[in-house]
Amino acid sequence: MRRYSGSRRRFLRGLGQAGLAAVLPRGLWNAVPAPQTPPAFEEISPDVSGIHWVHVAGLSREMYPPETLGAGCAFLDYDNDGWMDIYLVNSGKCDFYNPPRPLRNALYHNNRDGTFTDVTERSGAFGTAYGMGVAVGDYDGDGLPDLYVTQYPRNVLYHNNGDGTFTDVTEKAGVAAPGWTTSAVWFDYDNDGRLDLFTCGFFDFDKPRNIYCGTPALQVYCSPNVYKGTPCRLFHNNGDGTFTDVSRKTGIDKNLARAWGAVAADINNDGWMDLFVSNDKFPNFLFVNRKGTFEDIGALSGVAYNAMGLARSGMCVDAADFDQDGWIDLFVTGVDHEMYSLYRNQKGEAFDDLAIPAGIGAATALMSGMGSRFFDYDNDGDIDLVMCNGHPDTVVQQRIPDVKYAEPMLLFRNTGGSWKNVSAESGPVFAKDLASRGLALGDFDNNGSVDMLISINDGPPILLRNNAGRQNHWLGVRLRGRKANPDAIGAKITYRSGDFQRHRWLVGCGGFLSAHDPRAVLGLGPRTKVDWIEVQWPQPSGKVERFLNPPVDRYITIVEGEGKWA
Amino acid sequence: MLRFLPAIVTVVLACSAAVTGSNAQVAAKKAQASDPAASIRQALSQAESGRCAEALPVLKRNTQGLPDKQLRYHAAFAVVNCGMSVNDTAAVMNALVLLRRDFPDDPEVLYTAARIFAQFADRTAKELAERFPKSPQVGRLNAEALESKQMWKEAIEAYRNILAQDPKVPGVHFRIASILLDMSQSAEAAADAKKELDAELELNPKSAAAVFVLGEIARRAGSWDEAIRLFTRASQLDVGFLEAFFGLGMSLNAAGRFVDAIAPLERYAKGVPDDPAGHYQLALAYSRTGNKAGADRELKLQQEALAKSGVRRPPSVRVPR
Repeated sequence: MRRYSGSRRRFLRGLGQAGLAAVLPRGLWNAVPAPQTPPAFEEISPDVSGIHWVHVAGLSREMYPPETLGAGCAFLDYDNDGWMDIYLVNSGKCDFYNPPRPLRNALYHNNRDGTFTDVTERSGAFGTAYGMGVAVGDYDGDGLPDLYVTQYPRNVLYHNNGDGTFTDVTEKAGVAAPGWTTSAVWFDYDNDGRLDLFTCGFFDFDKPRNIYCGTPALQVYCSPNVYKGTPCRLFHNNGDGTFTDVSRKTGIDKNLARAWGAVAADINNDGWMDLFVSNDKFPNFLFVNRKGTFEDIGALSGVAYNAMGLARSGMCVDAADFDQDGWIDLFVTGVDHEMYSLYRNQKGEAFDDLAIPAGIGAATALMSGMGSRFFDYDNDGDIDLVMCNGHPDTVVQQRIPDVKYAEPMLLFRNTGGSWKNVSAESGPVFAKDLASRGLALGDFDNNGSVDMLISINDGPPILLRNNAGRQNHWLGVRLRGRKANPDAIGAKITYRSGDFQRHRWLVGCGGFLSAHDPRAVLGLGPRTKVDWIEVQWPQPSGKVERFLNPPVDRYITIVEGEGKWA
Repeated sequence: MLRFLPAIVTVVLACSAAVTGSNAQVAAKKAQASDPAASIRQALSQAESGRCAEALPVLKRNTQGLPDKQLRYHAAFAVVNCGMSVNDTAAVMNALVLLRRDFPDDPEVLYTAARIFAQFADRTAKELAERFPKSPQVGRLNAEALESKQMWKEAIEAYRNILAQDPKVPGVHFRIASILLDMSQSAEAAADAKKELDAELELNPKSAAAVFVLGEIARRAGSWDEAIRLFTRASQLDVGFLEAFFGLGMSLNAAGRFVDAIAPLERYAKGVPDDPAGHYQLALAYSRTGNKAGADRELKLQQEALAKSGVRRPPSVRVPR
């Protein structure tokens, strides 16, 4: 090496991995004058919401890896009453954990007045092992959302019986996926109109193979790269309540994974749903669907590695067309000193990372990203981005300067051509350090403002009411597929008001260990009228239906082929 | 007379023995001269017992040409150890060169080289401090030592002291800028570092390093055009500065100028073939310009470089329970 080039190289690498973070100084929120109006996001206390359930991680001296990583949460309307209910995933008994008192997941019924009632006992959807995440989908097309709960060491599929109860149908369905699964996604990979199931394989772990990490003086939660990866799985829905593992046949299990998040979306507009999967210390996968088989194009598409050609700790993923150019863009979080990536679709199955010019790179340089999602929080029609953060290692602050176990959330507003960090002005909750994990988006009070539910590792969940979206007009749409898959995953909704036109895609899952309100809320800004709304149903339908003059500021349901909304 | 006989006999015998011994030694020396291995073995024995003054000349003379590789290995190590004890720097250096050349994959050789070079550094630094205690070089060495211990504030203070003595010393503002960027990743730190780098360029307009870091700051801010301009300048100031070519190629890729990115990235990947980053960026540039074969080839090289660098290995202590 030439003179001083070594240190320059180290500098370059350091910057490449870390970024020049504009970290929000602690206590900044307190310096801001008290707002006169409610903050954009307002924390609803358990005493008000009635949600008293608490996640118990079972943190142990042995530092078993699953302990600090869960768990997820969901908004779902399990009883089809038009109001979003809540499902929360907890830890449970397994080979490394025997809880001193029985733990269970929780199902909360929405009382339609801002409160919830715990209906878990009746539902029977308790969970059967050490819970991680949840995916919601109507796999049997009976009009009721079913629950797939990911767990260590095997998953469970709860069929929704329609009477407030669920039945464990895992064995019959054949979707236990032994091992350690993190996120799961319902989507129709082969365009047969049924929801198939993708599961993220994390690393190959069990109690006897637990590894001590750190130094003799300081034990830490291991980085996943000390463990061998496991393959992801894809289960084909046979349409009779059973599934067939098609991981090998479709190319999904070609490479080992340490997968965290997954989102299904059609990134190349060919009518076949693709998969973007984040991997922890492995290259991320971008599985492009070649008519039923998958090709991983992550590396050359630009989403597998960082700019230095190194795999990062890919955590949460999401997909949305944030720049409204007709091509779905991607987002992935990482851990400290990596920066998150905001990938703009350049068409041709190629992506460019906009995180740095967007300011997201600097803001996330020291963060570890958990539940995060694209959504239009203020209903101005532009797709914004929220990020919940928290490092997986409880003692990280003792070994890495400026990095903490609990970290604040971030909210970036899409201003139509750039991004603005509006965290500090969006409510006191954004100044709180949280051990965030899952994030579910859903409008629990049906006012058109999409609210947030954040699951906390070893703590109570946080329910946030969105006050910002109420300032604008909106139209909420629930799609029901007939020939297309029942949840219309992959549908494109376009809407127009005067010279204002936007579109949204319904993507499969997205986020981190969590599931979301299936309804699309279409932001209108100050506009009080929608000229038309057009639905392009996913394959095998492919049908395009346009509806003139739908109402605003309310939810409507559109069933494929009925030619009307209700 | 007879009573003296035994004494005479003794003397004669003694003389005879002495003559015989002398002859034997000569013969032995002759034998050793014709058998360097034998003399080396004897010298090794001497070295082991601490008789380095006697052993070293023999070892220095005969080690290089020893056909027995194992003996050569031990002899070279003996030269290193004895050379250090009698302060024969040249002998130590020659022996280390021999060891590195003939036993390049031996960890003990690398370990010894690292240890000896560290001792040389220590001795040289002491000599500098003793002979030129007030020199700026001593101040700089002190600052760099503090910097290497990540005593950032103390290091900056030491560098500032150098500038107080002589504001026109080149390289010091650059070091301060580097520390500022190591200390904090804030935008403020970047702005402060930029000021130091600008000051460095006032003193030394041809500092490719300063221009390079300014380019990197611009790149991290997403100012692609500025980054491209600065990396281009750095690569012109120092045509062998391969990292500047990498920064340039990466910025051109980020700006969507994939065709332009190919040349600097090719240069970097060729010059630093073990760096996965160069191959990865080049793969992207090839891919976006329709060169699928080139992209696939570079991705393969990236994978090989990753495997070689061992970045996937866990950084922490692992003790299976």
